[in-house]
Amino acid sequence: MIINGVTIDATFAEAFPMKGTRLIITAMNAKWAMISAQAFTGFATSVIACGCEAGIEKLLDESETPDGRPGVSILIFAMGGKGLAKQVETRSGQCVLTSPTSALFSGLDNPDKEIALGQNLRYFGDGFQISKMIDGKRYWRIPVMDGEFLTQEKTGVHDSVGGGNFLVLAESQAQALAACEAAIEEMRKLPNIIMPFPGGVVRSGSKVGSKFKALNASTNDAFCPTLKGQTKSELSPEVESVMEIVIDGLTKEDIDKAMRVGIQAICDLGAENGIRRISAGNYGGKLGPFHFHLQEIMA
Amino acid sequence: MSSLIFALKTPPAQRIDCSLLTPNLLADKKITDIAAIELYTGNKAVRVDSLFDITGDDAADIKFTNSSDKLDFVGRNMTTGKITITGNVGAYLGLFLEGGQIEVTGNTGIYTACEMKSGQIKINGNAGEFVGGARPGYKNGMTGGIVIVTGNTADRTGDHMRRGMILIEGNAGDYCAARMVSGTIAVLGNVGEHLGFGMKRGTVLLTQTPTQGIPANFNDNGPHTLAFLALMFNSFRKLDSQFAKTESFTRVQRYSGDLGGIGMGEILVKI
Repeated sequence: MIINGVTIDATFAEAFPMKGTRLIITAMNAKWAMISAQAFTGFATSVIACGCEAGIEKLLDESETPDGRPGVSILIFAMGGKGLAKQVETRSGQCVLTSPTSALFSGLDNPDKEIALGQNLRYFGDGFQISKMIDGKRYWRIPVMDGEFLTQEKTGVHDSVGGGNFLVLAESQAQALAACEAAIEEMRKLPNIIMPFPGGVVRSGSKVGSKFKALNASTNDAFCPTLKGQTKSELSPEVESVMEIVIDGLTKEDIDKAMRVGIQAICDLGAENGIRRISAGNYGGKLGPFHFHLQEIMA
Repeated sequence: MSSLIFALKTPPAQRIDCSLLTPNLLADKKITDIAAIELYTGNKAVRVDSLFDITGDDAADIKFTNSSDKLDFVGRNMTTGKITITGNVGAYLGLFLEGGQIEVTGNTGIYTACEMKSGQIKINGNAGEFVGGARPGYKNGMTGGIVIVTGNTADRTGDHMRRGMILIEGNAGDYCAARMVSGTIAVLGNVGEHLGFGMKRGTVLLTQTPTQGIPANFNDNGPHTLAFLALMFNSFRKLDSQFAKTESFTRVQRYSGDLGGIGMGEILVKI
């Protein structure tokens, strides 16, 4: 398949099941809501070493938040419910509770499966915390030095998908990055997904396994342009740079849609902007059960 | 199907225990069976059809008409459906209510919503003493649900209240929120003396400072902007109440007490 001179490889991206939740951080103004959200989602690019993958889903205006203040919606994913609960609690405690004027709410209802949000943070109140049941949901009011930190007690957990991806193969580093930026700009308009890596783009895509026993992932040498003559390369001579966009989403359909929008944005730039191919992280079925076939998605 | 209507034949001489006439207990019962149910009035058990004219067949929508303040225990242990009472009603309306709705066009007697667990009670009139309270000798009052009173409540509203909300559009009597353990009482009008006497936790939300001032056993914590109030006012919007139309505010003067006890209760007054 070729779109606007860009070859879409007959391959698929492999993704794996994760547990995810959506949180809403509000503050006195959008600036401080964003500061808190950025702190919360910091160092959350990959479960390989961060324990979770998190990112900002979208900005929310006053009409979209529970307390009528500006806010930010974030998504956080981990490999299991327990891991997710631990990450949510520690990040909430260190990055939202501490952030001036902030409040923290669940953005995802699932009464069948919930994890603690403010349930344990309340103990920071040292006995002065106050519980409030509003519309069947419990909230905690924790006295802090700037006033009161309001947080919902629990948040719902959703069976999610992590690791959806595609690779952008370009004639130069600058062209690969420009294409990825164009894709990210369009993908960020979609709900229920995040691109957890810096700016949404990964330059160090990995393969499963390593020659070093301590590592379970290592550089994707088949797509490293400097190794074209040194390994079994997937790259043609004119490809000088490869970048990857990784997507985590609440459902497989959300990732399908995000990949289609992202790849289309890149194909719109086309071969004339140095984009040669779109490929994907295919690990021969070793990584996960969710397969995103590029040509089916773009058909 | 039409509403199942119990029209009181004559004003009763004795109090009548109506606890057997709830949607959950009458579901799937034939009119003849309902007519044969025996209710206690005074020291006698009498058939329902000797007290009420019965019409209709929808037990999920029960109506008491020509009601009297001698009808006690209406909606006791009710779990679903709706009861509408035209006129006044007696004591213990909605005792142990677990779900559904009760609406009264008149006034209610003592112990309305006593130990209520969930559901909603709306009183389009005044309510007697101990709204949302606990039975004598018991320590937990209502533990959930919403009570709306469009008129006034008598003394000891929310006594021993444990959870839930009591929304009073008029005035509350003396000892409002006394011995309150938790939950929320909001009052659009005035409140009587000894507000929050023995209050442990919970919130009393007032739109005006009580005419006799804040009790001495509460300390002033200063003016604050409390975010939870925005959520609470949002939750009022769907109610058929003056509270749904009340302009949301988050700026309040916060008082904590009763300092004679653990002092974790709060009175919030709009500023």
